[in-house]
Amino acid sequence: MKISTRGRYGLRAIIDLAMQENKSCVSLGEIAARQDISFHYLEGIFSYLRRAGIVIGTAGALGGYTLSKTALEMSLYDILKVLEGQLSMTGDEAPEQETELRAFLRQEVWDAVDKSIENALKQMTLGEMKETFRKRDDSNFCAGL
Amino acid sequence: MKLSTKSRYALEGLVYIAVNSPNEAIRIRQIAQDTGITVAYLEQIFFLLKKAGLLLTVRGAKGGFLLAQSPKDITVGMVLRTIEHDLAPVKCVHDLQACTSKVRSGCVSRQIWMRLTDAIESTVDNITLEDLKTSYLNRKGAGA
Repeated sequence: MKISTRGRYGLRAIIDLAMQENKSCVSLGEIAARQDISFHYLEGIFSYLRRAGIVIGTAGALGGYTLSKTALEMSLYDILKVLEGQLSMTGDEAPEQETELRAFLRQEVWDAVDKSIENALKQMTLGEMKETFRKRDDSNFCAGL
Repeated sequence: MKLSTKSRYALEGLVYIAVNSPNEAIRIRQIAQDTGITVAYLEQIFFLLKKAGLLLTVRGAKGGFLLAQSPKDITVGMVLRTIEHDLAPVKCVHDLQACTSKVRSGCVSRQIWMRLTDAIESTVDNITLEDLKTSYLNRKGAGA
């Protein structure tokens, strides 16, 4: 039960993008440098995010990416769902044939866990992440690193 | 972000025992027949559950497997951790050294993974085998 590299890097890049609020467009080169993620890898992730409607891309010398909605309107669930494909712990839909016990566990346990993941991610918005990050005292927060 | 089949079957095996054979040892063959999980796979899984102190083996003619603890003391979280070791969806949650990023001192996302881990853990740590047994039997009794 792991979040993929694409999910982890993609989310970091999107939070970085959300933090550059006074720029109309942010280039992938800047994000790549700040987040220490390969430029080519980011290109792949962002073309995917653009097609899914999470970011808007602008071409040209001053081009780059911007969020399609305000940071407060964008939940981490929206973003991770696109990056991960699906966020269910057990993956697939209910199979056609299932024992009574297995169907019961799917509803009572696995669906409940999926729901808790969904709720936790829906409660967090990019706006909140931006705020927390701005407020926190770097030297203090990172003392353990 | 998927949970292994092994984890799901581990829980299924234990709930099966709690429901069908709470006081007497039960043979793997019987569980395999009723759940559709193969004997070999169940043996692998039960070996881990026994090592973790969740199952006991009983020898002899009436031998087989028995829950090692009361169903109210075994949580879904305990079962899943036996198989998965760690329920955090990203390694850095429990091990900062696992992060090799050069910019980790300015990490923007670890707090998200920590909150996600909390959500998952508080769900699975609050469901016991007893809860599952009771609601399964209620549902069956209701003629569902």
